[in-house]
Amino acid sequence: MEKDDLIRKLEEMSLPEIEIKSHKERLNLALMKKYYPERKRAEVFNIFKKLVPAGAVAVILFVFIFNNLNSPKYNLAKAKKIALENNEIKNWLQQGSTIKDIKLADGRAYVLIEPPEAKKEEKELMPANLKSEGAFQESEEIKENFRGALAEVNIKERKISNIEKLAPAAIDLIKSKKDKALDIANKSQEVQDKIPKEAEVLNIEVHTPKFRISNEGGSVSAIPETEAEEKASIIYQFDENQCEGKVDLNKERLEEINCLKEINKDATSE
Amino acid sequence: MDLKEEKDLIKKAKKDPKAFSELYEKYYSQIFGYILKRVANLEIAQDVTSETFLKALKNLWQFRWQNVPFSSWLYRIANNEIVNYFRKQKGKKVSLEKITEPISADNIEMEFIEAQEELKKHRDFLKAQGKISKLDMKYQEVIVLRFFEKKQIKEISEILGKKEGTIKSLLHRGIEKLKDEFFETN
Repeated sequence: MEKDDLIRKLEEMSLPEIEIKSHKERLNLALMKKYYPERKRAEVFNIFKKLVPAGAVAVILFVFIFNNLNSPKYNLAKAKKIALENNEIKNWLQQGSTIKDIKLADGRAYVLIEPPEAKKEEKELMPANLKSEGAFQESEEIKENFRGALAEVNIKERKISNIEKLAPAAIDLIKSKKDKALDIANKSQEVQDKIPKEAEVLNIEVHTPKFRISNEGGSVSAIPETEAEEKASIIYQFDENQCEGKVDLNKERLEEINCLKEINKDATSE
Repeated sequence: MDLKEEKDLIKKAKKDPKAFSELYEKYYSQIFGYILKRVANLEIAQDVTSETFLKALKNLWQFRWQNVPFSSWLYRIANNEIVNYFRKQKGKKVSLEKITEPISADNIEMEFIEAQEELKKHRDFLKAQGKISKLDMKYQEVIVLRFFEKKQIKEISEILGKKEGTIKSLLHRGIEKLKDEFFETN
């Protein structure tokens, strides 16, 4: 059979035109019986369909807000803001101190404030004729009294719950570093001039003004930064006098020597 | 009834069961006839027609008017229900007795027997339908709509939701396959 013959055959085919009236009537009755329940179902479905996108948006918004309000970034920023509102901290910052670090622990934030150490270093690097005592007077004054602080921030209550002022920490040196520091000091001209040979070395340690926040052992505290500072302090005792020599271990030189009593050079040389 | 009137009637049918009944009266014979031409079995045709109109009622409230006759939507539901029927292999049947008061069983049986006798008279149709039913559903749909329902390509494309070019190509390939079926028998 050719394609055209098949098409013609299909087009001219006598088709059944059957209708089963009883089925038509029964189906109509069934549909009428189901009409109102279906309409009600559709109405409920439509309400639900409208609520789902609104609900989804609400959930997304809630998750977004919840995540942001509880994100560490947000809490750090919030803690900083609370710290900056405190008058004491504000005062330190205005006088050159900086917020060195903020850490979160147990729903609280810990803000470490560092004295204006950087400015001091700047001053040291400046040529002598450009050094103005006045310009650094303020920060030097702070340094005298303020060695840093650790502020505990209660984020929930939006307040500073405690401020711990830090004292300069002394770090014990290992023997090889102690020997190195003493060697550098004793070879320097200033020590040879001021300190008699029989002077007793009372102590060699590092005094560091730098701290970091530690969260070890479940409690948060500010601990000295051992790696930052490589300046050793050597205490000499002789003839009811005490002198402190400061040695830069990195630069391998004596930086300064200060004594409690003024030393009579002639007396020492005798 | 033009498209505008039909659109209004559908809108009304969403609120008034009488309007839905009017739509049903208008399209029952057409849809039953189409399904019968697809399945060539009165019992299956009744079941699938019932499923088609029940599905139409269920989805009436989601129906969006798209300038296409309501019958196209019904044809599409019918196509899906035919596929479902054969997939389920006569699985779930709609028993009208369960949801309507039974009309005298004797009358129904009598009417059904008469209808079957009438169907048996169309030998050529039954033979051709037997061949068509061996083709893939996609070819069955286009061949029955084109040659038994006398639909234009554009109408078939509206019913099946496919491009006119696709319909032409399906029709061409379907005829080729049907020709092979006839050739094998002869």
